Amino acid sequence: MLTFFTDTDTDITPAVAAEYGCRLISMPYSVDAKTVYPYVDFDTFDAREFYDMLRSGVLPTTSAISKERYIEYFEPEFAAGNDILYVHFSRAMTITFNAMDEAVAELKAQYPARNFHEIDTKGITTISYTLVREIGDLLKAGKTVEEVLEWAETEVDRFAMYFFADDLKFFRRSGRVSGLAATMGTLIGIRPIIYMSQEGKMVSCGKEKGRLKAMERLVQEVADLGDGFKSHHFVIGHTDAPELAQEVGRMIRERFGDDFPIEYVVCNPTAGSHAGPNGVSVCFHAKHR
Amino acid sequence: MDRIDANLYLNLIRGGAAALAAHRQTVNDLNVFPIPDGDTGDNMYMTIQAGTRPSTSSGSGIGEMAKAVSDGMLTGARGNSGVILSRIFAGIAKGLAGQREADADAFARAMQAGVEESYHAVPEPVEGTILTVFREAVEAAAGSRDLDEYFDLLTGAMDLSLQHTPELLDVLKKAGVVDSGGAGLLYIAEGMRAALHGEAAEMPADDAPAVQKVDLDAFTEDSVLEFGYCTEFLLRLQRAKVDLETFDETVLSDWLSQNGESLVFFRDGSVIKVHVHTRTPGEILNHCQLYGEFLTVKVENMTLQHHENHMEERFRQGRKAFGVVAVASGTGLTDTFKELGADVVIEGGQTMNPPVERFLRAFDAVDADTVFVLPDNSNILLTARQAADLYDKSDIRVIPCKTLGEGYYALANLDTESGDADAIEAALTEAVSEVKTGLVSRAIRDSGTVHEGEYIGISGKDILAAGPTPEEALLALAESMGAASSDVLLVFAGAGGTHSKRLQEDLARKYPRAEVILSSGGQPVYDYILVLF
Repeated sequence: MLTFFTDTDTDITPAVAAEYGCRLISMPYSVDAKTVYPYVDFDTFDAREFYDMLRSGVLPTTSAISKERYIEYFEPEFAAGNDILYVHFSRAMTITFNAMDEAVAELKAQYPARNFHEIDTKGITTISYTLVREIGDLLKAGKTVEEVLEWAETEVDRFAMYFFADDLKFFRRSGRVSGLAATMGTLIGIRPIIYMSQEGKMVSCGKEKGRLKAMERLVQEVADLGDGFKSHHFVIGHTDAPELAQEVGRMIRERFGDDFPIEYVVCNPTAGSHAGPNGVSVCFHAKHR
Repeated sequence: MDRIDANLYLNLIRGGAAALAAHRQTVNDLNVFPIPDGDTGDNMYMTIQAGTRPSTSSGSGIGEMAKAVSDGMLTGARGNSGVILSRIFAGIAKGLAGQREADADAFARAMQAGVEESYHAVPEPVEGTILTVFREAVEAAAGSRDLDEYFDLLTGAMDLSLQHTPELLDVLKKAGVVDSGGAGLLYIAEGMRAALHGEAAEMPADDAPAVQKVDLDAFTEDSVLEFGYCTEFLLRLQRAKVDLETFDETVLSDWLSQNGESLVFFRDGSVIKVHVHTRTPGEILNHCQLYGEFLTVKVENMTLQHHENHMEERFRQGRKAFGVVAVASGTGLTDTFKELGADVVIEGGQTMNPPVERFLRAFDAVDADTVFVLPDNSNILLTARQAADLYDKSDIRVIPCKTLGEGYYALANLDTESGDADAIEAALTEAVSEVKTGLVSRAIRDSGTVHEGEYIGISGKDILAAGPTPEEALLALAESMGAASSDVLLVFAGAGGTHSKRLQEDLARKYPRAEVILSSGGQPVYDYILVLF
């Protein structure tokens, strides 16, 4: 048997995970030195409450989980004779996977017959959500893990994610976007456009004046890079900006028609701690990232 | 002044503490050695402040008072310079022991004992630090006729010694600063001198211990432990563990200097004070517990204290390539420009034209190869150009911004990634042409159709709108400036203007395509500044 894992940094909620029989590894954030594990310490994510807290000036921190915690997740599966496929957020954004590697090495020594497979979505939040869904669909359709891994070899790089943020101060604190060095402040009214690179990092690719221009830019990226996106999951994510997300959706519909589903997803609190409120992202199947 | 008694001694200490309190941040900002954690001023202040409330009766002699002050500092001492400071005063207390009063000679001898005690507490004294500054000053002041002369010479020599610290300590030279502990000591000595002359010491109103600046985000899951932990404790030697009479504390100090850095160590009876920097505080504590039990323990990750803003500028090798000097008025606007990345924001605008010298000082402060200057009106633009002509230490590029909006938008578009000053200047100049700025103010006289007391909307030299309230004038101004075709309407509310939700809603309703942002600018004269881009 294969056990399918993902983590909460992919925006996958317990409800979506349940559709695929997927297990969820909780990636924590901390507020006032109190560590919160999404969907362990709460059942439903109250996005308004969380992002309002960020709006009020509270800046949570995020932390890596320990080797022991990975072992707690994985060992029961190996002990029960199951192999593992873990589809996770970007290795390039964290060191948490060093702890995971140690945990896996330890478990493999103990359970040499078991297999551990991983797919790096080379992204976080919306793009990872989309890839977990795509992979979940393949597994549900009866694809073997080998077939899924082969699919991921080429297809992970063919999902693009573009987004804008309202305020750079959240990124500045984490220092996780390259290309923003020159303008690391709060840009009132001017929004940097950021995409998820093939290396799994956030890279800035210009600025737009005003929300409307920023939203139009996301739509334009879909037009320029999009490739067969109607037959894949098309996801719009947001950090508690449902109206903006809907507006981007409306613009997408206006431009590309309504013959494909658009899914709206709220960015998880751990990734949201680094992005800040009022941001919107689009994720779509593309020629390249 | 001939003699110091217990009360005067306490006044000197309080004077020193008050003077340091007033300059705590300056001292923090100098802090690069041994660790650039920007807390020397705080640590020294907390140390001396702990000595300002001695538990001794007012009728006691100076010896008792000095001992009580020193005991207070012993428990309050923190940080490298703080602990050394506490040893200086412990030495002084030893020198004054048993005396009712001290004349200049006796005080000089006590200060010399302070030098010895402070050097003794540091197993490997580093010159160019507070130790040197104190020692050289005490040597220079010896032999004074009276206490006034003593303190004059002391502070003069301290200042001189402090200025030489970069020559002794390379890290200071590289950072272009003097030693922070030495600077803190100079402030204390100056405060003591003032107190000697009867100037009343004014302790800060809150008088609370400084709150440590701890930025938890300075150490993330990806951080590398660069500086280790500042580990400080008071250890009470225990009879059950050591023979108190024969115990040689150098066994412990030797071990600590081999297993840690920046060690400050001293024994006072059965109490041992340790300040040490280590990557493994647990090992240090476990070892020391072999000899006694802890009275207090403090362990801090120094990367958290070493605040990015303090550190980066001073540890930059040489100067930076690009810098920005902007001109703005109003606290909100000043903060906005700083958040956008301006190195220096000069206060200036319609009613206050900064002089050329202000620009020259700002250029010095920025210390960059190329400095872009963003003025906020045409007079200031001329002054900035004049300053640029006079300045030859950097390549000064004055961007022709004639309004605050132009300066704002240019700065928001600053991108130095290319490294090409000409290209950046061209891009900034182009940005200026993409923005329109309008101003709302009260008419001070009748003019044409406008009556005194009405609110007018101005753009450039033209009065484009008028209204009975600033808000109505603003709405009319936005319309005549062509807000309908803008992407962003940025409104800075002035010191007198209101930051009303209603205004935001009115503008948003009228211009649904644009993003409307209302921000507190706090500028004088103008109720509102409207920036369109």
